[in-house]
Amino acid sequence: MRIPSIALVLSEFYEQEKEKAYNEGMPNVRTQWVLGPTWAKTREQIRKDVINGVNPISGRPVMQEIVEKLTMPLSEEDAKTGEIKRTKGPLTFTDTEENLRQMFLEKRYTDFLPIVLPTEERVAEMLKGTSRDSDEVIGKMSPTNTGGYFDYWTFTVKDVAVNAVMAGCKPEYLPLLLAVASTGKEAISVSDNGFVGALVINGEIRDEIGLNYDVAAVGPYAHANTTIGRAWSLIAINLGNCGKVGTTYMGTIGNPMNLINIIIAENEEKSPYPPFSVRRGFQKGESVVTLFEGWGILSAANWGANRWGAEMDYPQIMKDITAQQGSLFGTCFVLSPPIANFVKQRFNTIEELEAFLAPAPAFGGGFAKMKPKPAAEGEEPAADAPPAAKKTMPKGKMPGFGGSSIPIIVTGGSNNNYWSAGGMRPGQSVLIDEWR
Amino acid sequence: MKWYMSAGLITVLCLGLMCSLSGVSSRAQAAPAEEKITVLNPLGTPPPITLKPMAPRLDTLEGKTIYFVNDGYIGSDNVLYEMIDWFKANYPNTNALYKRKGGGGFESEDPELWAEIEKEGDAVIIGMGH
Repeated sequence: MRIPSIALVLSEFYEQEKEKAYNEGMPNVRTQWVLGPTWAKTREQIRKDVINGVNPISGRPVMQEIVEKLTMPLSEEDAKTGEIKRTKGPLTFTDTEENLRQMFLEKRYTDFLPIVLPTEERVAEMLKGTSRDSDEVIGKMSPTNTGGYFDYWTFTVKDVAVNAVMAGCKPEYLPLLLAVASTGKEAISVSDNGFVGALVINGEIRDEIGLNYDVAAVGPYAHANTTIGRAWSLIAINLGNCGKVGTTYMGTIGNPMNLINIIIAENEEKSPYPPFSVRRGFQKGESVVTLFEGWGILSAANWGANRWGAEMDYPQIMKDITAQQGSLFGTCFVLSPPIANFVKQRFNTIEELEAFLAPAPAFGGGFAKMKPKPAAEGEEPAADAPPAAKKTMPKGKMPGFGGSSIPIIVTGGSNNNYWSAGGMRPGQSVLIDEWR
Repeated sequence: MKWYMSAGLITVLCLGLMCSLSGVSSRAQAAPAEEKITVLNPLGTPPPITLKPMAPRLDTLEGKTIYFVNDGYIGSDNVLYEMIDWFKANYPNTNALYKRKGGGGFESEDPELWAEIEKEGDAVIIGMGH
């Protein structure tokens, strides 16, 4: 709009909005900072804190500043046009190992844990994990999954390999990471909700790279699970500019799962149901990774519905948990094989179980938009499906796409009747073989 | 004795674990503390920035129309109602109009409203988002 405009923003977002304004080409945009949060307050409280209050940044009266920002003439700089070119900076850094570690830490290239420094030799070794050209630009990522707020940073195969080295990955993990990165889905969202990402991995790659899907499957108890999860977060931090507190990360409480995310290799061998990827239209055995986003998962014991007893009605408990979840992410269940077998005795198919659980309608915005639309038998995916989906979705009907908000994954050991649940919504599924 | 054996075993296992943490071999990379090494920049590439000029400001608020636009976040209405009341009390000759942005979520655009404001308004204040 070509008229004077002022955005009202809480002072807590000062750093973030200054960066946003700079990236949008209006570094001096006139924003009015106010004390927040303002919602949940009475009008009397708002009058006191905002209208008759001061800008917490400048200490000056809010309404006086608003009048000034509408009427004070522009400076020369305010009216500037042109283009500012940006680069990633130097392609390499040379120093002692100790100094480089300190520099990576200070520049926030790390997750604050020690990293493997990405020397040319290590990165070259990592790149042996794929036949792709190392300079191929394979994606773009921003701290918001809609991409509408922060700008997208682009990255190459080599950039992903650098971060894989830093996370401690082996070259054979690289195709999976390239498949994940190609979606542009950030592991660390800016949202004050404190979202977390999850990867569900199916097919032969699970055994090829040593992913754990038995006892302790969902946790940092195997090299592949741990380093792949960590690499996804480092990719988000360095290739998508995510996770910078105050600017590109505003999780009010934060989320410890952002460190290595939730990596779930499905225990297809002990599951009584078809693998999750097969239910999405892929062939059994095909190596597929599906990206999730949501609040995270917790032991089902966290819900009041899970009353412990000598006899347990697990489907009913699942239904009760589903009823407690909101519609933003729906409910995701991660069942151990014994629980899945309990459920199977009553519901022969996942579809029957889903009908029983009667989930809330799936949320239509944000990440849900990334879900490819269902394709009819033998048809190509919809024209508006994201590029990665178009490349990787097989022909044929895609059960589960767009309809269900209660993904059910089976993993873990059979040593007890434990399971987890939480608000997690599936997005894209990607064939990993294309990235070998 | 048993304790010492266990402690020794744990130490060996821990060392083994630490050595295996790095997926890509670091044996060839071990460098003396003062030796310089070269590493790659781990960042992606940000896009260029196109500078946009700000709209010229008003010389006065007298007789002007200011739109107060609620972006849809819960509680924004009350903040804007209070601002409008303040303008009515302090700038009685300024026309303060309240509008609720459409378009779905608080991040989405509302081209119709933007066009109306640009045509009918002299300034706009939008908020609040939290």
